Amino acid sequence: MGQTMAEKLLSRHNLAQESVKAGELIDARIDGAMCHYHFMDVHKLAVQAGFTEGIPRLWDKDKVYFLVDHHQPALSQSIADDNALIRKEVARLGASIFHDAEPGIAHQMIIDYGLVRPGELVVGMDSHTIGYGAINVGATGISRSDLMYAMIFGELWFQVPQSVKVVLNGTQPGYPIAKDIMLHLAGEYGDDFAQNMSIEFSGSLVPQLSIDSRGCLSTHGVEVAAKFALFEADDQTHAFVKSRTDKPYETLAPDADAVYEKEIVLNVDDMPFVVAKPHQFGNVTPVDDVKGVRIHQAQIGSCANGRYEDIEIAARMLKGRKVAKGVRFILSPASQQVYLRCLKDGLIEQLIESGAQVVTPGCGVCQPKVGFMSAGEVCITATTRNFKGRKGSLDASIYLGGPLTVVAAAVAGEIVNPKDVFHEL
Amino acid sequence: MSFDLNRIIKGRVWKFGDSVDTDSINPYYLYPAMEDLKRHTLESFRPEFPKEVKPGDMIVAGRNFGCGSHRPGLVLKEIGIAAIVVESASRLFLRNSIALPMPIFIAPDIGKIVNDAEILEVDYRNTQVRNVTTGATAALRKYPPTIEAIFESGGMPAFARKRYLAETAR
Ligand code: SF4
Repeated sequence: MGQTMAEKLLSRHNLAQESVKAGELIDARIDGAMCHYHFMDVHKLAVQAGFTEGIPRLWDKDKVYFLVDHHQPALSQSIADDNALIRKEVARLGASIFHDAEPGIAHQMIIDYGLVRPGELVVGMDSHTIGYGAINVGATGISRSDLMYAMIFGELWFQVPQSVKVVLNGTQPGYPIAKDIMLHLAGEYGDDFAQNMSIEFSGSLVPQLSIDSRGCLSTHGVEVAAKFALFEADDQTHAFVKSRTDKPYETLAPDADAVYEKEIVLNVDDMPFVVAKPHQFGNVTPVDDVKGVRIHQAQIGSCANGRYEDIEIAARMLKGRKVAKGVRFILSPASQQVYLRCLKDGLIEQLIESGAQVVTPGCGVCQPKVGFMSAGEVCITATTRNFKGRKGSLDASIYLGGPLTVVAAAVAGEIVNPKDVFHEL
Repeated sequence: MSFDLNRIIKGRVWKFGDSVDTDSINPYYLYPAMEDLKRHTLESFRPEFPKEVKPGDMIVAGRNFGCGSHRPGLVLKEIGIAAIVVESASRLFLRNSIALPMPIFIAPDIGKIVNDAEILEVDYRNTQVRNVTTGATAALRKYPPTIEAIFESGGMPAFARKRYLAETAR
């Protein structure tokens, strides 16, 4: 019987060196472990468990990736103090990969710097680790205690997930729609339709999707509860990966007779622009249903939508236009590399001229760190989550939308259908 | 601390709906200190919860409990929640709870047999939950042996320590 990508991934990494199928629980060898700014929590867990000095060793000094991300430069005294401790610990452990003086989101830096490669099994102490699936990496989020174990032994328990095949058909329009796709799926099938499963994307749209769009889709895998969210490697993947690393890799592809728990087909040509209303990702409705809702803040950023194409569409649409008076339109590139590319292409200049704010790369716009909301205020955002309180006040309302929908709202001062504002589309 | 899966747990129920998120369980951006977290956990779903919850109470919830970020539910352990019984848990929250360990159980029909403020009894050994108030029962999922072993050794850090000591003693 054929195997899914997840079954192949975990068969190859199974310590018992046996082929596995969905449902089995195994110990697997990992290829990389990502640790972000919460490392001191992992350290404390180690101390509590009886390792008085902290983590006793790294299983491989080149494979534990330390990134002091999220809030760089330090946004508070406690973050600054933690960062200082992290530096000491990383030096003690002798890790070779450490990004501690660079703002940005860990997940984007991991991809930018070619730290992960197709076919690898990678874990990280953050739910959106799953996003590396965009370039055929079997990546998933784990807990802090799991990470502590993985750092020491380079192994971890996994349950081989069932898989859901998401077939995306249709034509890529001249603007990004990955966010709309995931919102649409969550609205249609529930925000846990892939609970504990591995998503495999396929269909006629896939070859047309940029790596940026695949990044958004895979990252949002976790918003529909998935464990992995995998694309096969194609020419675009190879070009992308090879421009960043010369280490060899072995890609994953499903067998033709692989068995799926379910299959979902979406034709994007028939898909309306959608938004998620407060306060859940699956609370989705066509944008026309909420048009006219006044907004105070609009945002583009995060590990889901802080990539080049998300910033580019905003700059392109703002050419010759202005952000509505009184609207705070905040953009945050996902990493310095993304920021630099936007800058070189003149996007940042365009954004500022049109009245937008561009803030330091990082997680701030996705959390209540940069751009808190007050009670009664409304935000529309192309970031990951709209849970109550995600931007400060429990009485603020957060709508999630694609970057085009967000820039349209920023121009109109209210939620609108992008086609009603941007007649050139 | 290790957790004995064979012990029967009994407590008063706080009932929640679907897709309760970890931002709500653990709003640490707003309240970085544990003492403050305890005063605000789950208030975005039920404002009275952090004020009125008592050690030994249980949480019952619908689908996808603990969705969202990878933050642990340690605060629920700190306020003395005896067990979490849900129709389904978000995979990462489940993984986190096993690693802590925080007693969490999956009972797909739990929503049908218990109401808020009733008394529930969890009997893992017999894979059953029972509403003490009404007598109604529902089935509970058994965990694979590896997961039981992690629960019983007191979570992943303790599990790691045990393995490390065994390896380095050789
Ligand atoms: S951008 Fe938001 S969701 Fe993504 S890693 Fe940062 S805080 Fe988490």
